[in-house]
Amino acid sequence: MALQQFSWVRSIRSNATHGGVALASVLLSLGLLSPSRTNAASTDERDNIRLELRPRICTLTTNDTQCDTVVHATWRSPRNESLCLVIVERPEVKRCWEKYSEGNYSIELIFSADLVFQLKDLDLKQVLASDVLRVIREAVRYRHKRREPWNIFN
Amino acid sequence: MAVRVGVFAIIAGVSPVHATEADDECQGATDDCVAIGGWNFSVAVGAGVRTNPLVNGKAIPLVVIPQFSYYGKRFFIDNLDFGFTLAERGTNTFNLIATPGYDRVYFYRTDLQNFFIGFPNALYPDSPALVTSSTPGATKVSPPAPHITYFAGPEWTFKYGPVTGQLDLLRDATGQNSGDEIRGALGIPLLKSKGTVSANIGFTWKSAATVNYYYRVPILYSGSAAFDPFIKLGYTLPLSSKWRFNAFAEYEHLGNGIADSPIVAEHGVATVFVGAIYTF
Repeated sequence: MALQQFSWVRSIRSNATHGGVALASVLLSLGLLSPSRTNAASTDERDNIRLELRPRICTLTTNDTQCDTVVHATWRSPRNESLCLVIVERPEVKRCWEKYSEGNYSIELIFSADLVFQLKDLDLKQVLASDVLRVIREAVRYRHKRREPWNIFN
Repeated sequence: MAVRVGVFAIIAGVSPVHATEADDECQGATDDCVAIGGWNFSVAVGAGVRTNPLVNGKAIPLVVIPQFSYYGKRFFIDNLDFGFTLAERGTNTFNLIATPGYDRVYFYRTDLQNFFIGFPNALYPDSPALVTSSTPGATKVSPPAPHITYFAGPEWTFKYGPVTGQLDLLRDATGQNSGDEIRGALGIPLLKSKGTVSANIGFTWKSAATVNYYYRVPILYSGSAAFDPFIKLGYTLPLSSKWRFNAFAEYEHLGNGIADSPIVAEHGVATVFVGAIYTF
């Protein structure tokens, strides 16, 4: 029942974004849908699907130009979901599940900038959850070399 | 030591400064700047030789010459030298350094400094002999057998236009001879196009205690302080991002306190090298 209700709410929100503002207004006026209920449902929906990445940070040292590591993505939901895991600007990466309440995915990635992982619905239109694998570059500081004209090789 | 630091400050015409102020001037790895916290390795490969002024002294071949350094925010290692940057502002830097006594390289081919000036492919024979046991009526004289020593003291380095300078006031810190040494030099670029022609002029002043630690001969000779000036001409040409051609010739004149020792046969030390340096 809960699943149906959330699906319905999702449908309402989807339609509203496509110009179905009038329908939402009618429902609101009939008292079938209060603004607070709509927002709460939407928030709950996003909060209830958890996506976690390991590692969450890749640190590049002075001599590194890019990260090369296996990334483990894990998601959980209190109910069955049909969704896909994608990485922004990495169209080649896509893993989908249908009617699962959790999933794991591991992939070796080479990257030099932050990677945004997203769980989307099967149409890849709505973002259900996201997490970021951040790249941190070790700050390189410089100083003067020792001046040593006395040394034979300087 | 405090007096010496004060003298350095007066010479430089500056007051004590914060060590970090000059860091901002270095924005990347250049000829003058280096990354903090990283090791730097290079090796020179070529052909060269450094003469040995001792009686029976064998010249030191220069074939493979590894160089390394590490720079922390203040602490640094520069081959066999250790240093701590006390203060730095603009073109003046004040360090405390520890550096090996140099003259031992003439007595022991296996001295560590020879690993960083040449390729230790042979051991010296016994120390220079004044007489051999077969000499009729000769009295055997024990030759010097200097240990490894480290000098320590303040160092002032500076840059004035294209000219770099270095002045070290050093004292034996290993309790071997309680001698003093002053090292000073200027590096002067002469021509710069694709390659750079440069001249280095400088000196080493050694106190009598330092001179005698290496060159005294019991009964026969006790030296005085010595002033050893040197001049070097060098040419460097970058060949790629990693390789550069390098050639130089140096002549160091030995002061009388050293040259007059009966175990010294030459009044000077000449060094020449032609090769390439690879930076890792």
